[in-house]
Amino acid sequence: MTYTTGMDPKEPIPVSLFFTCLADAFSPGVCGATVEVLERFGATVRVPLSQTCCGQPAFNSGNRKEARAMARKFLRSFPDDGYIVTPSGSCAAMVKHGYPVLFRDEPRMLARARAVGERIYELSQFLVDVLGVTDPKSDFSGKVTYHDSCHLRRGLGVVEAPRKLLRAVPGVEFVEMEESDRCCGFGGVFSVKYPQISCKMTERKVERILATGASYVTSGDLGCLLNIGGLISRIGYPVKAIHLAEILAGKTAGRWDAG
Amino acid sequence: MNERESLFRRLSAACAGHDGAAAGEPLPDGAPTAPEGDRVALFAKTFTAAGGVLFRGPVETALSDLGETLRAEGVTSLFFPEGDAAAREIAEALVPFGPFNLTTGAEVRGGSAEVTAGFSSAEAAIAETGTIVETSAGGKTLLPGLIADVHVSIVPAASVVVRMEEALAAFTAYPPRNISFLSGPSKTADIEQTLTVGAHGPKKAIALLLAQDTLSLLPRLEPRVSR
Amino acid sequence: MELDANAFGRSARKALLDKTLQEALGRTTGRFVAHRDAAVAAFPEFEATRERASRIKRDVLDHLDTYLARFIGEAEKRGAIVHVARDPAQAREIAARIARDEGVTLAVKSKSMAAEEISFNEALQGAGVTVVESDLGEFIIQLAGEAPSHIIAPAVHKTREEISRLFERHLGEPRTDSIPELVGMARKHLRAKFLSAGMGVSGGNFLAADTGSVVLVTNEGNGRMGTVLPRVHLAVVGIEKIIPRMADLPTFLRLLPRSTSGQTISSYVSILTGTRRPGDPEGPERMHILLLDCGRSAILEGKYREILKCIRCAACLNACPVYQSVGGHAYGWVYSGPIGAVLTPLLVGLPEAAALPDASTLCGACADVCPVKIPLPDFLLELRSDAREQGLKTPGEIAAMKGYAGVMKRAGLLEAIERIAGVLGQFFTKGKGIGGMPYPFSGWTERRDFPAPAARPFRKRWKIKRGVMR
Repeated sequence: MTYTTGMDPKEPIPVSLFFTCLADAFSPGVCGATVEVLERFGATVRVPLSQTCCGQPAFNSGNRKEARAMARKFLRSFPDDGYIVTPSGSCAAMVKHGYPVLFRDEPRMLARARAVGERIYELSQFLVDVLGVTDPKSDFSGKVTYHDSCHLRRGLGVVEAPRKLLRAVPGVEFVEMEESDRCCGFGGVFSVKYPQISCKMTERKVERILATGASYVTSGDLGCLLNIGGLISRIGYPVKAIHLAEILAGKTAGRWDAG
Repeated sequence: MNERESLFRRLSAACAGHDGAAAGEPLPDGAPTAPEGDRVALFAKTFTAAGGVLFRGPVETALSDLGETLRAEGVTSLFFPEGDAAAREIAEALVPFGPFNLTTGAEVRGGSAEVTAGFSSAEAAIAETGTIVETSAGGKTLLPGLIADVHVSIVPAASVVVRMEEALAAFTAYPPRNISFLSGPSKTADIEQTLTVGAHGPKKAIALLLAQDTLSLLPRLEPRVSR
Repeated sequence: MELDANAFGRSARKALLDKTLQEALGRTTGRFVAHRDAAVAAFPEFEATRERASRIKRDVLDHLDTYLARFIGEAEKRGAIVHVARDPAQAREIAARIARDEGVTLAVKSKSMAAEEISFNEALQGAGVTVVESDLGEFIIQLAGEAPSHIIAPAVHKTREEISRLFERHLGEPRTDSIPELVGMARKHLRAKFLSAGMGVSGGNFLAADTGSVVLVTNEGNGRMGTVLPRVHLAVVGIEKIIPRMADLPTFLRLLPRSTSGQTISSYVSILTGTRRPGDPEGPERMHILLLDCGRSAILEGKYREILKCIRCAACLNACPVYQSVGGHAYGWVYSGPIGAVLTPLLVGLPEAAALPDASTLCGACADVCPVKIPLPDFLLELRSDAREQGLKTPGEIAAMKGYAGVMKRAGLLEAIERIAGVLGQFFTKGKGIGGMPYPFSGWTERRDFPAPAARPFRKRWKIKRGVMR
């Protein structure tokens, strides 16, 4: 793993953006915000346009045949070197930990999957651990609380990076919620198979969010945010679910508005 | 082929080819490191934390405090195992603090209406966990710590060890039928997660910690586990 | 215990609507978690101990044949009679025969998941033996005629009012709302049973191979009473509970109570080796050890073998947000929470319990707290894949997955679909969330909005702004 801080800013850092199918379709602004933040810190962002889905929904529901097909497609879509960065802890964890399971009986694919797994980073992890960013230079302002997505925290072990970045935004008043690391109840197919249990968990999460008095709840995974945001919008609570990339991008995120 | 042979055939097949996850590499220890204070002070702390009540200091004061506590608990009779001289001595010494009857384990076992305090000498005490060790080795009875309402363990300071391993070492070669670790009173939280004492065993666990120098006063109080 | 694991969805919905249960769950699981976390934080050697325990257990599984043979030999040398049962029916038969041969009419039992697994009580009742549960929680559950809902706190769903009503009806005790008084009533009632029972029945938390000892860990002291006072002691234990040496016991004792309830140690640990010795004033004259295979040797042979490292601490239950939401009954058998979602399908067969591995968000909280490092989320995923391979998934799910994978094969196709969805979505929702979706997503939108697809996906925006790159 490359772990460098204080990289020469003149040296371009090639980064392939894995924008995720979920963000592509439902929150394209998150992908744009990710591009803005990466470019702000000297990355040359490339977007492999043949990418689709990493296959996580199929893998997590036990449909490995389909997941394997999507994983092959993913591995074909991305170049053989350079960093791959994604605004999703869950999708990065899928590539890193799920692919080796999918290809455990195919040594050549396994080696390739492992190599890609070494190069993939979630956005905040990449900014802090690889680029050594301490000040995200964001003009965002508001009171923000942070939800640890399960796969970012437990899957990738990323706990401090997003918090460090949020605390470093001058306009952000950062406040921790109780049980920030408790699952929001999304769980992909779980929320479809057992929606009532899922909702019960989401309600508890939203209670904790409201208790902070924050105007924004943010996270490193869009799945959690769509789930949490879906409950917030149904009830009409005075808090907005917003992706970490959008906070870090600040006003520059607007450059990617649909128009 | 009987059932046992057939089980072992299945197990051998399942174990074949799985060799030695633990082979070679030394295991991490995991036992707590030696306490900063002394082991007796640590035991006093952990035993209390486990819900036990500890009496120590000069034997006269400790006995009088113990007597007070037993009266406050409504104890009416004291019993001790026939062969436990130290328990007998302490129980008898407490009679003047009563009114207490001296009774036998058999009566208590039969289901007496009295509120009883059972006395016994601890085999060892473990500082790490606040545990009193009792065993059936040598034909000892476990009744005082089992069926009494209040259990009083007599713990010579020299019998306190730091870790559980030290307490068990004496028994691994020839284990008696029963080795018991007693840590505080009988507890339950089965009703509304509310901690309540005296579910089956003693409602109060008391340790009478006797310092080294009091052994001359009570000459038969000898530690069973040497350190 | 009767099996109803595939009804998980229905039972869970019922549990969500049960006010008393919800109140009890809210009160209890949070406390368990807080106490456990505090105990772990206060024990700096926890991680090292956890690693040690995990490796000892793996060594046990790698050589279970050797260790079990050693255990049986040592136990028999010290006067115990060892039985092995291949399946629950055989175990019931052996248990009933033991009770008959020993002339037992009343047995006091302390908590044992293994005994639940084989429906032990029914077996003995069939042989004319009255079995009294002596663990307070189990005793309450027995009076209520229910199944326990938690490995450690079986009556977690009962309030004091309900318990007092049960004691009034079954024990003739006056009504009270004092918990100590309720505990006192049970103590009095059960003490009489301990003193008159012919047999004490226990499980076993650990079996020490080098000494043939059965180790019991309890807080109430019932396990201790039932193995000292009655004439016969019967221990019903799964074969995986082996530890190599009595000297390994401290390692596990440092983990079990901390993981369960946050205690440094439980009130009582009994290490029971053989029958009473000549000159012992008490202790059982006869000791039977009933070792259960009941599916374990088959698990040992396959990819889930590490599940047999489980020491039944219940930390994974308490940490699991799904368990916290629905409690234990929904899992439809002896074991609940993440361990149940894995172990139940393995012990009773996946077709009988295929609903359980889906009952998790894969959040990983269980693996974080497991004191013997069982990769529970990996096993849940693996079981879901087995379900597909064994033909246990609905045709609808498979068709949906195939269709979805088909779309994802070509970015162009995905883009076209996104465009149509975007147009429709924007038209019908005016950019707001979707309030109602058709089955199978209807459950989602019952109480949550679903986002509308964007009018212009990111791929398109990138092409417009930056031109096409590869």
